Amino acid sequence: MSDPDAYIALISSLPGSERLFVAKQPPISRLRLDRRLRALAREDAQVLRVLEHALNWGDYDMDVTDVQAVERCKAALGDIPQPTLQKLFLERMDLRTAVAALRLRKQGGSSPAGTFGMGRWARHIPANWSDPTFKLESSMPWLKEAQQLLEAEDPLGLERLLLSVSHKQLKRHAARHLFDFEAVAIYVLIWSIFDRWAQSNAQDAATRFEKLAQQAMADVADIDFEGAYA
Amino acid sequence: MNELVLTLGWLGIYAPMALGAASSAIGCAIAGQASIGAMTETEGGYGRFIGVSAFPSTMVIYGIVIMFTLNRDVTPENAGGLFGIGILSGIALMYCGIWQGRACAAAINATKEKPEIFGLSLAPAAIIEGFGVFAFVFALVISAGIS
Repeated sequence: MSDPDAYIALISSLPGSERLFVAKQPPISRLRLDRRLRALAREDAQVLRVLEHALNWGDYDMDVTDVQAVERCKAALGDIPQPTLQKLFLERMDLRTAVAALRLRKQGGSSPAGTFGMGRWARHIPANWSDPTFKLESSMPWLKEAQQLLEAEDPLGLERLLLSVSHKQLKRHAARHLFDFEAVAIYVLIWSIFDRWAQSNAQDAATRFEKLAQQAMADVADIDFEGAYA
Repeated sequence: MNELVLTLGWLGIYAPMALGAASSAIGCAIAGQASIGAMTETEGGYGRFIGVSAFPSTMVIYGIVIMFTLNRDVTPENAGGLFGIGILSGIALMYCGIWQGRACAAAINATKEKPEIFGLSLAPAAIIEGFGVFAFVFALVISAGIS
């Protein structure tokens, strides 16, 4: 349990956010946020870095394997001493495991042997592979909608649903933390959700696609992106 | 034995003042930090924030009044009563001051986004003030029965 009054001035200096999916931008720029976060104690800043590094998709290489990703998350969990942050980290892992399983099954993947992903449902999901929601509807009521959106090939709708679920999870934890380190960490994670949604527009997607395409084609030296051979 | 009892009596006389001062210091520091943080994010209304952060300072005033009321010659007969009233009223004031500071900090944090809820957001702090007043008034009432 962190000092409940550790970061009163820091939390009070952070602007609140508008409603998710209504706000066009995060409530504060990353530059200004980082400047404010300089008030964190060194060990707290390190925990926040670990948490963000493990949860931010942008920090993963495109060719990362499941095993590597799970190992990285397990290592991160060991470096997070705050029970609330551990809990929300595991909740996010549960969400990602379930969604990854849905995607794998849609691509025709068969039931993984043993465990799949990380978290409470790592054994439960392979054991209930044929069920549309892996018999997790009571624990994850949003999973049915996620499965339907995936089947309907609506990636933006699915992204919106997942961000909304993550946002609700974080807000639930935020209600119990006003001015401690957990409150700061939750603010930053909510900021990431707003930032991710703000980036979910066509132009950014095109830019990212081009970047990924260039990364994928980097080894093929004799093709340029104008379609002509060198 | 008598010396110990007399010491407890003196402790009881000064406790409301000391604990009240500590609680006001902590409460004002908590709320003050919130007002400093809020000032970096808002364009005006700074005076309001500072005014709210001074709310917990009332606890030390109550403590001083209780101390003066309890202040008398300490004897083995009245030392127990002085100790009981002084310590317990001091503890009550201390909790009220610290938690009032937290309530004020939350109010400041909320009103920086929504200035229109300024009055309502102070309700928890005002209710805590009421509990502090209870501790204060009944300490005065009970102390009248000590010889």
